[in-house]
Amino acid sequence: MQRILTLLIEFKEYFILTLLVLLSMILLTLNDNPQLKAIRSYTVATIGIIQNTLALVPNIFELQRENEVLRKLNVTLLDEVSRLREAKLENARLRELLGLKEKIKYQFVSSDVIGKTLHLQRNTITLNVGRNNGVNLHMPVVSDQGAVGRVIAVSSNYSIVQLLLNKDFRTSVKIQRSRVDGILGWDGSDRLMIKNVSKKQDVKVGDTAITSEYSKIFPPDIKVGVVISVDENPITLFKDILIEPSVDFTRLEQVFVITSTVDTQRVNLESKFMERKK
Amino acid sequence: MSRYIKFIFISIIFIVLQTTVANIISIRGITPDFLLIWIVLIAIRYGQIESTLFGFTIGLLYDLATGGVIGLSSLSKSVSGFMAGYFFNENKTEITLSTYRFSLIVLLTSLIHNLFYYLIYLQGSEINTFRSIVVIGGITALYTTTFSLLLVFIFMRKYSFLR
Repeated sequence: MQRILTLLIEFKEYFILTLLVLLSMILLTLNDNPQLKAIRSYTVATIGIIQNTLALVPNIFELQRENEVLRKLNVTLLDEVSRLREAKLENARLRELLGLKEKIKYQFVSSDVIGKTLHLQRNTITLNVGRNNGVNLHMPVVSDQGAVGRVIAVSSNYSIVQLLLNKDFRTSVKIQRSRVDGILGWDGSDRLMIKNVSKKQDVKVGDTAITSEYSKIFPPDIKVGVVISVDENPITLFKDILIEPSVDFTRLEQVFVITSTVDTQRVNLESKFMERKK
Repeated sequence: MSRYIKFIFISIIFIVLQTTVANIISIRGITPDFLLIWIVLIAIRYGQIESTLFGFTIGLLYDLATGGVIGLSSLSKSVSGFMAGYFFNENKTEITLSTYRFSLIVLLTSLIHNLFYYLIYLQGSEINTFRSIVVIGGITALYTTTFSLLLVFIFMRKYSFLR
């Protein structure tokens, strides 16, 4: 016993490192543990308060650039609004004729991005809205440019969003023009990729990718990005489709959390069905 | 004990800086690792045990605060704290901090940190691990090293009487 103790003291640095590495590995396996989630919620709340205070300091260069972009956007949007008004009226008339229901309007909570973690491809953002604002886990987050990500941690006043550019993010998307479905993932750079699209399907460079009805995260028809390359890999049956995201994640400042899309009835039914299949 | 409380407080400030200021100075999404510089500084000043323990604590706090995989940063930062601790020499602390040796330690530690990080983080993903380690890990390490030079200049002035 004495010898073991002497050894432990002599090699205490190695002993401590081994212990901490083991502890980290245990933590890696316990990521879905509710206690750990609760601790995360408290940490997000604490760090969020400091981040929120720091976010009050305006980034002058960013404001100047944003102003310029907004002015240009305003001109384009004014023109688009008038055309859309016409289209809406026409759409309403046609729907009435066909007896179709009006599409559900989603409820949004707007939020400022108070923290960003783009370090070593982590790619998450912190928002200054939380449970008190009706935000919950897995809710989709969008910006005026398109799909942003989903909520993965939430405290009473703050939440963390996993961006589309994250190795753990997957969602169903479709090509707007040809209605071809696929699974959206991240390729590790600043691009996205669509998988599981057969070589026979019609996808062209310049096509717009939008969220699909099959997505459990996003409501349908939210812009994701534009196809920038379509390669036919000779060793697989599928196309390699690269997408330029419509959202500039490095400049995100304000986003919207969609609080009314999680269709619990559908999620429950699907999970029950999957359990029965097992 | 008060020293450790001070360390935790400073670590929280660094975590906030990492999630706010670091993004303003990011280059194509690549940001310097302020937390790693802080861990190397602890290693050079106080030794291997402190840097390993604080590497773990800082990593864990960072994982919890940023929505990352819990345990990933604590593991890679414990290992990097341990590695940086090898360069601890009580009699040469000021010399190490005020010369480019400090930046070289940051570079080496950062490369090891990023290697461990990516080997675990990209397990089971389709992302090119080699590219991530070499390109993103390498550039991040160089960017972090560049920032550590600022500290070297500060310590150079502080310990100028040694020359």
